[in-house]
Amino acid sequence: MPKRQFVVIGLGRFGHHVALSLAQKGCEVLAIDSSEDSVAAVADHVTQAVQCDATDEKALRALGVNNFDVAVVSIGENIEASILIVMTIKELGVKEIIAKAVTPIHGKVLSNLGIAKVVFPERDAAIRVANSLVAPNIIDYLELSSNYSIVEIPVAEGMVDKMLKETDIRAKHGLTVIAIRRKVPYINDEGESDFTEELRVSPSADDKIAEGDILVVLGSNNRIASYEASR
Amino acid sequence: MLKNIPNGNAVELDPKKSAEYVELGEFYFINQKWDKAIETLQKALEYDPKNPEGYYNLGVIFEARNKKPDAKEMFEKALHHKPEHKAAAEHLRRLVGA
Repeated sequence: MPKRQFVVIGLGRFGHHVALSLAQKGCEVLAIDSSEDSVAAVADHVTQAVQCDATDEKALRALGVNNFDVAVVSIGENIEASILIVMTIKELGVKEIIAKAVTPIHGKVLSNLGIAKVVFPERDAAIRVANSLVAPNIIDYLELSSNYSIVEIPVAEGMVDKMLKETDIRAKHGLTVIAIRRKVPYINDEGESDFTEELRVSPSADDKIAEGDILVVLGSNNRIASYEASR
Repeated sequence: MLKNIPNGNAVELDPKKSAEYVELGEFYFINQKWDKAIETLQKALEYDPKNPEGYYNLGVIFEARNKKPDAKEMFEKALHHKPEHKAAAEHLRRLVGA
């Protein structure tokens, strides 16, 4: 399968990390920003980093932005520029566009432009922090709908060495374990001990829980909250 | 030189013995004998309280058991005794999320 090519427009905090993360995963990344410093900060890590005014259609065309599979528009401070750039790259023919929004209205406008996804990084980070404060045992949280979520919960001490069916997680709490994240120790190339994580998707009821396991659990928000409170 | 340890016993400081206990602790860790590994690494630190590998390995075990505050403390101690300990710095960075 050919590598997907990404263009990241706007290299503020969010765009900077998106560009670096994609590059670290081996993707081809073109990073664009109007600030020379922001471009310089990613230049050594991405395939190509260019300083230019991304609201200029000719500049985007000259860079061949239309040849990219995915565009990430990460411009929050200047809403007008964000919308203009999204419209331009859509017209240039980029099929998948993801854009950052900073306000609900900004998000609504971007959404109405028919792009693949609108993200609210600050709002999402705030919700995650709030969730982790309210339920400190929950490691990660993905809201599926207003009523259902997937959460990651470390196993309680009493669950270790029990089979999944022997725990009360499904029978009493009505939650479904969809995967188990298990730590696997190893010695790394430098001779240091370390561990990696193995994901056991769709575990069977007979699977035994090990110490340090993290359960990936699907359920209604009410049931997740009551399970969390019972621990 | 003798060093008093919390349980009232005293052991003679011996960095070589400490290194041997770290190796044994790593062996228990690889075999997922977590409690035995912790006990052995604590022994390693009794013989050399400045052994960064003892703290680092304890940090890895605590992290693997989801005991993040304890893991963080151990990685910080490893770095205190060996600031250039790359693996400890990387684990600490991951835990703190910086």
